[in-house]
Amino acid sequence: MTAAARPLPSHEPPDALLQAKADGAPPVLKFEKVGFSYDGRTIMRDVSFAVAPGDILALLGPSGCGKTTILNMVAGFLRPTAGVAVVDGREITGPGPDRGVVFQAAALFDWMTVAENIAFSLRCAGARKGERRAVAEEMAALVGLTGFEDAYPYQLSGGMRQRVGLARVLAAKPKVMLMDEPFSALDVQTRESLQEEVLRIRDRTGCTILFVTHAIDEAAFLGDRIFLLNDLKAGAYDTFDVDLPTPRASPDNRLHPSFLRLRETIYRRMRH
Amino acid sequence: MNRSDERRERLRYVLVATLSPLAILALWAFAAARGWTSPIILPPPSAIWASFLDMAANGYSGVSLWTHVAASLARVSVAYVAGAALGVGLGLLRGRSRLIDAVLLAPAELLRPIPPLGLIPLFILWFGVGETSKVLLIFLSVLLIMMVNAQAGVRASSLDSLRAAQSMGANRWQVFRFVVLPSALPQIMTGLRVAMGTALTILVASELLGGDRGLGFLILDASSFFRTTYVFAGVAVIGLIGLATDRGLAWAGRRIVHWEGRR
Repeated sequence: MTAAARPLPSHEPPDALLQAKADGAPPVLKFEKVGFSYDGRTIMRDVSFAVAPGDILALLGPSGCGKTTILNMVAGFLRPTAGVAVVDGREITGPGPDRGVVFQAAALFDWMTVAENIAFSLRCAGARKGERRAVAEEMAALVGLTGFEDAYPYQLSGGMRQRVGLARVLAAKPKVMLMDEPFSALDVQTRESLQEEVLRIRDRTGCTILFVTHAIDEAAFLGDRIFLLNDLKAGAYDTFDVDLPTPRASPDNRLHPSFLRLRETIYRRMRH
Repeated sequence: MNRSDERRERLRYVLVATLSPLAILALWAFAAARGWTSPIILPPPSAIWASFLDMAANGYSGVSLWTHVAASLARVSVAYVAGAALGVGLGLLRGRSRLIDAVLLAPAELLRPIPPLGLIPLFILWFGVGETSKVLLIFLSVLLIMMVNAQAGVRASSLDSLRAAQSMGANRWQVFRFVVLPSALPQIMTGLRVAMGTALTILVASELLGGDRGLGFLILDASSFFRTTYVFAGVAVIGLIGLATDRGLAWAGRRIVHWEGRR
């Protein structure tokens, strides 16, 4: 794969894209001619794509381009007004623990400890206390929060709050993890270390991730594939494949020629 | 700010909060001693204290002071607990269900602006001048205050936290229990403090209705015999009860709603 722009025709995505990966693994997430309009206004039209298991798809675009609308439809917060959105072979009809969301402002439950936040999905599913604690400790370790299990969210820094947000989604063992500009309110160092953390977590859990961002760097460092959302009202977006050495979490990738080239390509494309 | 700064800050707060009423008392005692006020209108604090000691030792109107206090506290606590429980329940239901809100809107909002004291004549007509009227009057005012606060509290939960809960598999009840209710707690705790103040006000007024027990009765009786020092002593006891319950509720609130204002 190369880091070259491949603008796609608006309405007929090639089969290659819908099949997601050359090795033929069925896509875990698929949009088929999805449209969304609200109050008679078209937000998006005829959007089709597919994501292979374990891939990170970055949705890149300016505010108001519709990237969060796509995420909200995958999460089940919004229903498509046309077409179908499918996760793991089943049409999405509402929110569910197979599609956890990491929010920009973390949206943690301030009245619960870190461990209680992390194990929330298990509590809803009726898991016993001992099991919830065990999973909370395991997930806290995975995101680097060991020792903070009994703290309350307001006692944590912004970066640590987002780690809790990640851990509580991972605890539900989702098919797709949805991340809605989760690091945009953090300082650069924290943001970069969390980006690396996301890549490590993906490598360890094999979790598929839909990552919404407005930062080119973030999309290029994190994504396996990037959609640059130009004009969703016409169903148009550009696709970029990211080609960086593994392990992807290596900070050196931020200086890799392929990364720099891709960043430039996307930048020029955004500015036309 | 470090820990010892915080402690010093807190100490200063307690000190000023204690000194301010003492200063008022001193000014009052000074004015009374200089003969600026008539003892019938504004007796000196020392005379009020003496009346209080007299009541504490010998009772008032043949009944121990503590019986009067207990009678008042019993009325107010029964009415307060029941009114708060039902009010919070109805408020939460109104906040969660548009249908229930529609059913309760007109009756509740028509009743709310009516001063409870304006209902006294009706209550006497319906329930007589006994305990029932007194308790129901307090109950009703607490209920209306708590209903408004609980309903407003329901709206305090953020869209993101509701969505987060849903996307982690919470059903309607779990969303309510784990997100909506905790989000409403700060407002409910504030409501409880407001309602306690109102409950004590209505208590005293309702005891003016009649009966021979209670602090309201004591105050009314003393004033009709121009025993002003006893009126003041009775008023002071009610004030202290109000202060103590409010501090207690504020303290409980800080512990229950420990996350408030710390986000």
